[in-house]
Amino acid sequence: MGLDYKLVLWNKHKKTYDKIIALGMVLYLVLFIALTLAFNPETIAETMIIRAFGSLAVIMLHIILVIGPLSRLNPQFLPILYNRRHLGVSMFLAALIHGVFAIIHFHTLGNVNSIYAVFTSNMDYGSLTNFPFQVLGFLALLILFFMASTSHDFFLKNLSPNVWKGLHMLVYVAYALILLHVFLGAFQQETSVFTIGILVLGFIVISSLHLVAAFKESKVDGFKGEKDTGGWLKVCDVHEIPEDRAKIFSVGKKRVAIFKYDGKLSAIHNVCKHQGGPLGEGKIVDGCVTCPWHGYQYLPHNGQSPPPFTEKVATYELRLDNDMIYINPIGLEEGTEVEPILC
Amino acid sequence: MEKKDEFYIGYVDAVGKETKSSIKRFVLFALGLLLIGSILFGFFQKEANNSVFDFDTPTKISGTYYEAPYPMLRVELAKNTFKDVLLLGFGKFGANAYLDEIKRHKGNINGKHLTIEGNLIYYNGKTLLQIDDSQKISLDKSKKKNFVLPESMGNHEVVGEIVDPKCYFGVMKPGYGKIHRSCAALCISGGIPPVLAVSDNNSISEYFLLTDLKGNPIHKDIVPYIGLPSKLKGKVEKLEDWYTMRIDVSKIEKLDKESSIY
Ligand code: HEM
Ligand code: FES
Repeated sequence: MGLDYKLVLWNKHKKTYDKIIALGMVLYLVLFIALTLAFNPETIAETMIIRAFGSLAVIMLHIILVIGPLSRLNPQFLPILYNRRHLGVSMFLAALIHGVFAIIHFHTLGNVNSIYAVFTSNMDYGSLTNFPFQVLGFLALLILFFMASTSHDFFLKNLSPNVWKGLHMLVYVAYALILLHVFLGAFQQETSVFTIGILVLGFIVISSLHLVAAFKESKVDGFKGEKDTGGWLKVCDVHEIPEDRAKIFSVGKKRVAIFKYDGKLSAIHNVCKHQGGPLGEGKIVDGCVTCPWHGYQYLPHNGQSPPPFTEKVATYELRLDNDMIYINPIGLEEGTEVEPILC
Repeated sequence: MEKKDEFYIGYVDAVGKETKSSIKRFVLFALGLLLIGSILFGFFQKEANNSVFDFDTPTKISGTYYEAPYPMLRVELAKNTFKDVLLLGFGKFGANAYLDEIKRHKGNINGKHLTIEGNLIYYNGKTLLQIDDSQKISLDKSKKKNFVLPESMGNHEVVGEIVDPKCYFGVMKPGYGKIHRSCAALCISGGIPPVLAVSDNNSISEYFLLTDLKGNPIHKDIVPYIGLPSKLKGKVEKLEDWYTMRIDVSKIEKLDKESSIY
């Protein structure tokens, strides 16, 4: 994969993606403001800005959260996952405008520091209906800030994919905080079945998509193959794997992808070194296992990225017995050459 | 025939047909969701009231200064028709800091005639004035007026919400309730007088300036009760067009229901 080639073409998709995001956001704001001016003409600009950006951010968050499970259920949605971070950063910016305007509007020009005021001007922390809901929004905004500011690949490299992934799983904490922020805040006063309804519906859709996707994966994890006398695991019939594709099995505590290509079979650890993408949902392209998330590549017979890249994943030994594939559950050192078996 | 095995790679230009149509469907769905969201959040807002804050046009008003116990200016609109204009400071502050300077130079200004330039706030028959500069207050040469004592109206019990009048009467929309509560707490602890906005139609007034039992200002002590539906009891007095109520803060009853002024 030539580096220059990668940059130029990558940008083309990215630009379209960004244009769609910008279009969506502008559309939302224009419509929101037009409706507000038409039906609530006595309102003030600050309230309009706070509400427009707050509600925009929460809807964008829903879109962001459905992309993950959707693309696990149907790989055709992967291109949307590919540049999801742009959507994330844009959502953060909308939330930031909302939060900053709310703090300026409600908490500045007083006798105490405005951030201190967010936490202390309402001390009913013990009450549900009177809870200081701004605090919940503030904490959510902090999480979104950390996520947006570490979304660049630079941090991915320096934080290690696991830490990075952990940090980005916090989006679910942020989502919970935001729902509470809205239900304990604005909805107590600006009560409408329609706005409450859309967020309840959103919650149902997001949680069920995640459950369905998790169920699909638990089938892989629940796999318990028979072991033969040598301790090798019986996995599947060779015909169950499509050409240039893989099947994923959990072997011991690890997921392993078994690829079929050019009449050969090879097995590598399923987890991409970039962001932990599922290599077994990738495809053999130009002789390389290509990650479905961002296209990192690995040679199937040794788990190494082709030069100049240096990523390596663990490899596994395979055996074929009457069209039945067996795997040695003890994986080899990352990047170890294994002669592919012929099928 | 098996369908074509499509695979998308971000840095490769070609995108398969089915993948393309899936993406298109997703984009349409997302834009549709934004559209619906915008309509719902935009349309289903409670209509703001027609209160006004003239933040960009200063107004000069003249009248007799008095404190009852909050600073007011009694303005003569026509012969023997008066209006009490409640004085406030800039931001989330009361007017006192701005009046201190003139008090230091001129002594007691109670009952004296002042001219003040500030920004008007008005709604529902009440008028307030924001002062943003102590230089914009001047003492007029005129005799000190003996001012009329407030008229006693007896004891009353009323239900409503304690608001900060600056926001409630014009600066913010909404200037009451849960959304606005933190701001009201800051305003009142910053010296803006607490006002009870009444939700009960049978009350003798819609608004009461709240004081302690001795008639002195209250600020910090009342903060926990702001922005909530509550029941207050106290001795009521009538000024020109404001009422005051002397209350015992610890006897304010928080009502566990949604305030009906919502
Ligand atoms: C510093 C952080 C935040 C503060 C101080 C804050 C404050 C507020 C306030 C005062 C309201 C009520 C506004 C009104 O209805 O007039 C509100 C509503 C709302 N907030 Fe936040 N918020 C913060 C962060 C967030 C974040 C991070 C999100 C989501 C991404 C969010 C989403 C919403 C939504 C959806 C509403 C309801 C719709 C609306 O009225 O805007 N807020 N917030
Ligand atoms: S996770 Fe990014 S390329 Fe594999």
